[in-house]
Amino acid sequence: MNRKKLGLYIHIPICEKKCAYCDFYSVTHFEECSRYTDSLLLQMEDFSKECSSYEVDSVFIGGGTPTLLPKKNMVELINGIYRNFKVLKDAEFTMEANPASVDLSTLKKYRKLGVNRLSIGMQSANEKELRGLTRIHTFEEFCNSYAAARKAGFDNINVDVMYGIPMQTKESLDRTLTEVIRLEPEHISLYGLKIEEGTPFAKHEDKLVLPDEDVEYAMYTSSIEKLARHGYKQYEISNFARKGRECRHNLRYWNCEEYLGFGPAAHSYFKDRRFSYKRSVSMFMDALEYPDAGINIFEEDYEVTPSARVDEYIMLQLRLNKGLDENDFKERFGVDFGEKYAKDLKLYLDNGFMKYENGRYFFTPKGMYVSNYILSSFLTFESEIADNIASGLDK
Amino acid sequence: MSITNDRQKHIRNFSIVAHIDHGKSTLADRILEYTQTVSKRDMEEQLLDNMDLERERGITIKARAVKLNYTAPDGQEYILNLIDTPGHVDFNYEVSRSLNACDGAILIVDATQGIQAQTLANAYLAVDAGLEILPVVNKIDLPSADIEGAQKEIEDVIGIPAEGCPAVSAKVGLNIDKVVERIVSDLPCPSGDVDKPLKCLIFDSYYDSYLGVVVYVRVFDGVVKSGDEIYMMGTGKRFTVVDVGTMSPFGLTKSDYLAAGDVGYITASIKNVADTRVGDTVTLAEGGVTEALPGFKKAMPMVFAGIYPADGAKYGDLRDALEKLRLNDAALSFEPETSAALGFGFRCGFLGLLHMEIIEERIEREFNLDLITTAPSVIYKIEKTDGSVVFIDNPANYPSPDEIATSNEPIVKATIITPTDYIGGIMELCQDRRGSFIDMKYIDQTRAELHYMLPLNEIVYDFFDALKSRSRGYASLDYELDGYYPSKLVKLDILLNGDVVDALSFIVHEDKAYARGRKICEKLKENIPRQLFEVPVQAAIGGRIIARETVKALRKDVLAKCYGGDITRKKKLLEKQKEGKKKMRTLGTVEVTPEAFMAVLKLDDE
Repeated sequence: MNRKKLGLYIHIPICEKKCAYCDFYSVTHFEECSRYTDSLLLQMEDFSKECSSYEVDSVFIGGGTPTLLPKKNMVELINGIYRNFKVLKDAEFTMEANPASVDLSTLKKYRKLGVNRLSIGMQSANEKELRGLTRIHTFEEFCNSYAAARKAGFDNINVDVMYGIPMQTKESLDRTLTEVIRLEPEHISLYGLKIEEGTPFAKHEDKLVLPDEDVEYAMYTSSIEKLARHGYKQYEISNFARKGRECRHNLRYWNCEEYLGFGPAAHSYFKDRRFSYKRSVSMFMDALEYPDAGINIFEEDYEVTPSARVDEYIMLQLRLNKGLDENDFKERFGVDFGEKYAKDLKLYLDNGFMKYENGRYFFTPKGMYVSNYILSSFLTFESEIADNIASGLDK
Repeated sequence: MSITNDRQKHIRNFSIVAHIDHGKSTLADRILEYTQTVSKRDMEEQLLDNMDLERERGITIKARAVKLNYTAPDGQEYILNLIDTPGHVDFNYEVSRSLNACDGAILIVDATQGIQAQTLANAYLAVDAGLEILPVVNKIDLPSADIEGAQKEIEDVIGIPAEGCPAVSAKVGLNIDKVVERIVSDLPCPSGDVDKPLKCLIFDSYYDSYLGVVVYVRVFDGVVKSGDEIYMMGTGKRFTVVDVGTMSPFGLTKSDYLAAGDVGYITASIKNVADTRVGDTVTLAEGGVTEALPGFKKAMPMVFAGIYPADGAKYGDLRDALEKLRLNDAALSFEPETSAALGFGFRCGFLGLLHMEIIEERIEREFNLDLITTAPSVIYKIEKTDGSVVFIDNPANYPSPDEIATSNEPIVKATIITPTDYIGGIMELCQDRRGSFIDMKYIDQTRAELHYMLPLNEIVYDFFDALKSRSRGYASLDYELDGYYPSKLVKLDILLNGDVVDALSFIVHEDKAYARGRKICEKLKENIPRQLFEVPVQAAIGGRIIARETVKALRKDVLAKCYGGDITRKKKLLEKQKEGKKKMRTLGTVEVTPEAFMAVLKLDDE
């Protein structure tokens, strides 16, 4: 019998120092690692029964900085995952790591425990730019970590790179990419900086020396070309991989497949519901230790209605370079995508924002760069979803 | 029941005239308080201005009246009827009718500012109406108050004695007793005849859903009471009086009759406010007068604009709103029009720009509708080559150049009063707005009165704002229509992405077409968000392009990261974006903010 597949995400909300641009949930000076690990294990136990009919084919331990969790706790956590869920032998098991927070013996240990993919946040090879981002590592430290990861036996590594960051030029980005390519990682994520509300970057936005938007666009398109020349095929707006090395876990998000998130601020899509937890690690630990105390850790919790499923499918599939398959769309929703959106599609196809090949609609790089604008015209946002979204989800 | 002419000796009908912000409504409030018509406890600021909009803007839009009872120091009892008038040039006709209902007027002059354009305009209206004028110098509590200077100005400029006139502070309530005493001693009592046939002047009316139209009148001769058959001489309508009475700040008080000298209201189950035109004469259907009071005019809209619902589906709601407002505003006119760009809406006529702003604001507030308003236009008189004459209030209907023999535009005679420091800048402004100088008089060493002939279409575009900004707010303006004069006019079209947008077309003098076309293109560029395509914005006369701007194509609009499976966040973002798009008007393939249609209004650089 073919069992349903599931992805797991475990959030480790610990950082040595908050980067000025980042709005992911994490805390510094965290001293309750054992207690937090226990809470995560409790939460896994809560879900393990519900998941008995599922097989896990991707695990992602993200953050924060997972490699800041003491080795002892991480080992407990990984063992807890195996204990509570049926993790497939060939599952993709990713851990995020920050340069300067890993050592060889720890990496070896994790590799041995089944972690088979490492995602390292490099962001830039330029020291000035790294300082501008308030990163706590140097490029050299990144190189050392990368070498240690290889030595520990990781043969599937992602490197995060950012563009459109303070003081960056087309040339400096090109040099960063050259450095990364020289290291031959299996996967590269290239994220455009977005100034997020509430971050120090947002507060001081007027003081940031950012590339203008035409330069930024050139950075994006020339990076896509450069990476393609070196065998990194773009498969999603921000993601590039050697053949067969696409990130299975992230693909789950874009393919509308199920995943469970553990820890504060973690998101889940499970049995037609989307839910997430509040951004508070202390509240999270209290709630799991005292299940009868009535602490509500849900930030959001709603059913994805049939019409919302259509919206999500379009919005997520079109992020992928392979785009949206019209046959699959028809099979899922009983509607002909090309017919339903004929007028919009014609506009985008005629003007080089989208392409249609072999039954698939997909964005060109030009279209990808303005994909929000285009996507918003496809989506219906029927009132039920709108209500769900409006009701208390706004932080 | 015997009603004598003698009772009029104890009545004073008066109005307060002033330049805007010189303290008219505040003095009215204090007089109400002093005569105990309103107790301190019930006092609100600007009590007579009961529209929110009037209070916020500190202006009076509609005329109102209130009856005050006053016992003089000698024990005699008086009825003082205060008729509050609008102060803005847009409502000149209403002001003149209200003044005609009075026998005297208080002229307020701000002791810190002296005489301003509307002080003069309103004082002349009062003099023209044959009113006795009691000058009052206000704001004497302010450190910069110059009481003697203000008095001297009143004497020199308006030519009425002001020595020993009351000097007050309406704000702090100083010397209000003196004002009230002088109303009784200085202003004349009415001198009508109760035995003559009924003759009343309508100075205002409003629609009440229970009573029908409530008509405010001043009775000059005769008596009117419940059951009388009345006849409106201007509109020719007849009604049977249901009630008569007087006005208190808190409502209507029924009385047995209204007689010569009285100010009060009449109700007669009147359904339509248009049947009770301001300025009309009310008499009895049987045995009434044959000659109406002079000066009755139909309100004439001077400024026209297209008003459209931002949401096309709300067309019916907009019609209802306009109909309701017209119930109480005979000066508002509207008829349906369609625009290729904006869909179904109405071409509305207004007395002036302030009137237009007020109507817009009331529709948005009281009826909760979002509006798109096109740039205001005046009425052009076109003599066509076939000998016919047409009046054009909508640029979209402007004839093509080969059909036009002569085009004429309305010209006003404008009076501007300004501190002498700003004369240069103001003359430049008037010159720039195609004004022709008539003359200039010095009021005193520091202030001058300028007269210009100015095209009305130059005034409807931000002239008032420009005047204020060039004089740091000190210059004041008043104008009256002089007539139509030949002018070299052209129709300027605006093209977005190569297509003419009818709602953006307007009429402009040939000499100014190039500069204005360029300016509008710049303004539109600011009001058109970047979209997927580059959007050319062009101005053209006939087929000739005279200006061009380009709205660059949208660049980055992408959510790079998917935040650990946080799909909700992305959905919210896209939904917001979709909401934003909904607010836009789509003109062909171009999305435009609703504000763009007003962008053509704000043209002054300073």
